[in-house]
Amino acid sequence: MKKTLVFAAVAAGMTALSTGVQAQDCTTKIGAALPTSVDWGRPIAEVAQFAVDQVNEAGGVGGCAIEMVLRDTQVDPKVGVDAAKALVDLEGVKVLLGAVSSGVSMPILSSVTVPSGVMQMSCCSSSTAFTRLAEEGKTKGLWFRTFATTAVQSAMGAKVAADKGWKSVAILYKNDDWGQDMAKLIAADFAAAGVEVTVSVAINDAQPSYRAEVTEALGSQPEALYLALYPTEGTSAVREWLSLGGTQNMILANSLKSDEFRDNVGLQYLGGALGTDTASPRVESADAFKAAYQAKFGSEPNGPGLANSYDAAIIALLAMEAAGKDASGADIAAAVSKVTDPNGTAVTADAAGFKSAKTTLAEGGTVMYQGATGNVRFDVNGDVSAPAVVWKFTDSGTEEVEYLSLTEVDAFIASLK
Amino acid sequence: MIGFISYLVFFSTVAAILAIAVLGLNLQWGNTGLFNGGIVASFGAGAYGTLILGGTPQDGHLGGFELFYPLALAGGMAFAGGLAWVVGRLTLRLRHDYLAIATFGVAVAFENVMRNATGVTGGAQGIRGFERPLQNLLGSGFSYNLVFLVAVLAFLALVYVFLERLTVSPFGRLLRAIREDETAARSLGKSPDRVRLAAFVTGSVIIGLAGGLYGTFYAFVSPQDVLPILTFQIWAMLIVGGAGNNRGAMAGAFLIWGAWTFSGWALSRFAPVEAQLYTGSIQFVLIGMVIVGMLLWRPQGLFPERLVVSQPGVDTGNKQRD
Repeated sequence: MKKTLVFAAVAAGMTALSTGVQAQDCTTKIGAALPTSVDWGRPIAEVAQFAVDQVNEAGGVGGCAIEMVLRDTQVDPKVGVDAAKALVDLEGVKVLLGAVSSGVSMPILSSVTVPSGVMQMSCCSSSTAFTRLAEEGKTKGLWFRTFATTAVQSAMGAKVAADKGWKSVAILYKNDDWGQDMAKLIAADFAAAGVEVTVSVAINDAQPSYRAEVTEALGSQPEALYLALYPTEGTSAVREWLSLGGTQNMILANSLKSDEFRDNVGLQYLGGALGTDTASPRVESADAFKAAYQAKFGSEPNGPGLANSYDAAIIALLAMEAAGKDASGADIAAAVSKVTDPNGTAVTADAAGFKSAKTTLAEGGTVMYQGATGNVRFDVNGDVSAPAVVWKFTDSGTEEVEYLSLTEVDAFIASLK
Repeated sequence: MIGFISYLVFFSTVAAILAIAVLGLNLQWGNTGLFNGGIVASFGAGAYGTLILGGTPQDGHLGGFELFYPLALAGGMAFAGGLAWVVGRLTLRLRHDYLAIATFGVAVAFENVMRNATGVTGGAQGIRGFERPLQNLLGSGFSYNLVFLVAVLAFLALVYVFLERLTVSPFGRLLRAIREDETAARSLGKSPDRVRLAAFVTGSVIIGLAGGLYGTFYAFVSPQDVLPILTFQIWAMLIVGGAGNNRGAMAGAFLIWGAWTFSGWALSRFAPVEAQLYTGSIQFVLIGMVIVGMLLWRPQGLFPERLVVSQPGVDTGNKQRD
């Protein structure tokens, strides 16, 4: 018992050391339910904590330091829902960040956050089911996600193929809700853009080899390959694709914008590969995020969901600031529009930006948050649209090939209809 | 305080649902010696069956029959039972580890079918649009969870009483006879194949009930709910609680699920921020150590099997099976 106490005291002491440089005498808790035990989940949680640190640097929210209580979902819906429930009931959080997988976010939303009136903001859940749920009014406006709908991503893929003059494309997609959505959307967009889809093959996670799937795609003799995969499976599949003589003309979804993928495949084989992504705006804030991230983690913020996770955390905290002290989850959710107002004062995505946002909000103004993923703006269903970018791999990371503003993106999507 | 009670109700509901599944496995493994490595298939069949039959119509997948809830739940259980019957007919002739591998394969196949049969099961997006019964009456807050917990506990008690009665019945004795020595049972004119199938299907229906309640509670099910980790969790519960003992099975469910969630909570509260990101992995290690320790030092589980004789009154005491 004594030992436990000592341990607890030491742990508490260390917690205080790491967050408590500020002078605030109070703390406000927010919850995060993220898959920290999964390789791609940990950086997403790291970047959320990084956002919280920056906000604390700017003096916290409502004069109180923010403590992010992080729970692991283990990508297991039961575990994730239980973690979320514990955060809401035991820690009393009014804002929950997470989860990553739609299959975890969905039961959290339906059985924890909506019944308890807590705002839930996910960085990365992409399922179109959330949009339908929101349309039915079942999210009560408590649900947001900073992951731009898959529609932008797939339309850009079609644009790349059309611009390059590739006439036929094979699709390899991750066999989960995101991948299945992507495959469906991109196939429709390719068809609309006059590009033939020769075959669409599902890639299951964690297989030792994807030879069968790759051979099937190769057999259809496409001019290019579309990849909606995560780095680990993407690496295996692309290696086999290239070793079997597949083309280097590849279109990559933003999930493959990862140094790990580039290094493991080899840059020399990725010369013909073009990626798509939702883009940072042409403002300094995005660069500020990149620079701050680089200073902290020593690499560019490449990897699925990092910028989204950062924005999710900052927007949630801005909304808490805007909603004022002791606001309910619904109040905070309602305040999101005040901090993502296109007519508001622009603020950058760093500690200084948060500080200036606090001033503006205190004077009764509204704020346009220029985040790491762009000028984030939610529609009534909690979905975001965003500007888009086409990118390619370079020695140091990635480089932009083409930028499309939100208007251009919308116009292109409309032209596909 | 309110928050704590609310959480406790929530936790107990999930634990009780899992306890029902562990009881089902206990009938199969504890009493009959069937190594079922595919618990998630029955669990998932129950959940998917219930939600498809009881849900509201949705684009893109089968369902929306909006059946009266008890009928939907019974349908889910029937689906689990039917699947178990087919699987049992094909695989129950296999022994021990072979049966485990075959049933594990069935469970993985089940998950893949759910993931890929988009038109039937909603694919990876899962099935949503289910309205929880009585939600209009009770709202979706604490009172609903409380009523739901009472209902789940009632189901748990029902299953427990049923299995206790079964264990002391001649049929229960026959199950153990087959578990201990199949040839001897056969020599007495019993038909082990039929009995094993009956036990397998009954256990699977009970697991299907757990799955149906689980799907109802979350009003959602997706392929992520039927990953092999669930099979592992339920086995861990039975091993820790004590195979062959129904009370042990239930205690194991509450203990392991408690340890699973409590370790996550404790780590998030007491571990330093720098270690927070690794708590998920630490948690896996801790749980693995509990199970290994259990197997090393108390392999019979917390509640060892009691020797049961069919006629009450001639109980020969609590001799353990060796």
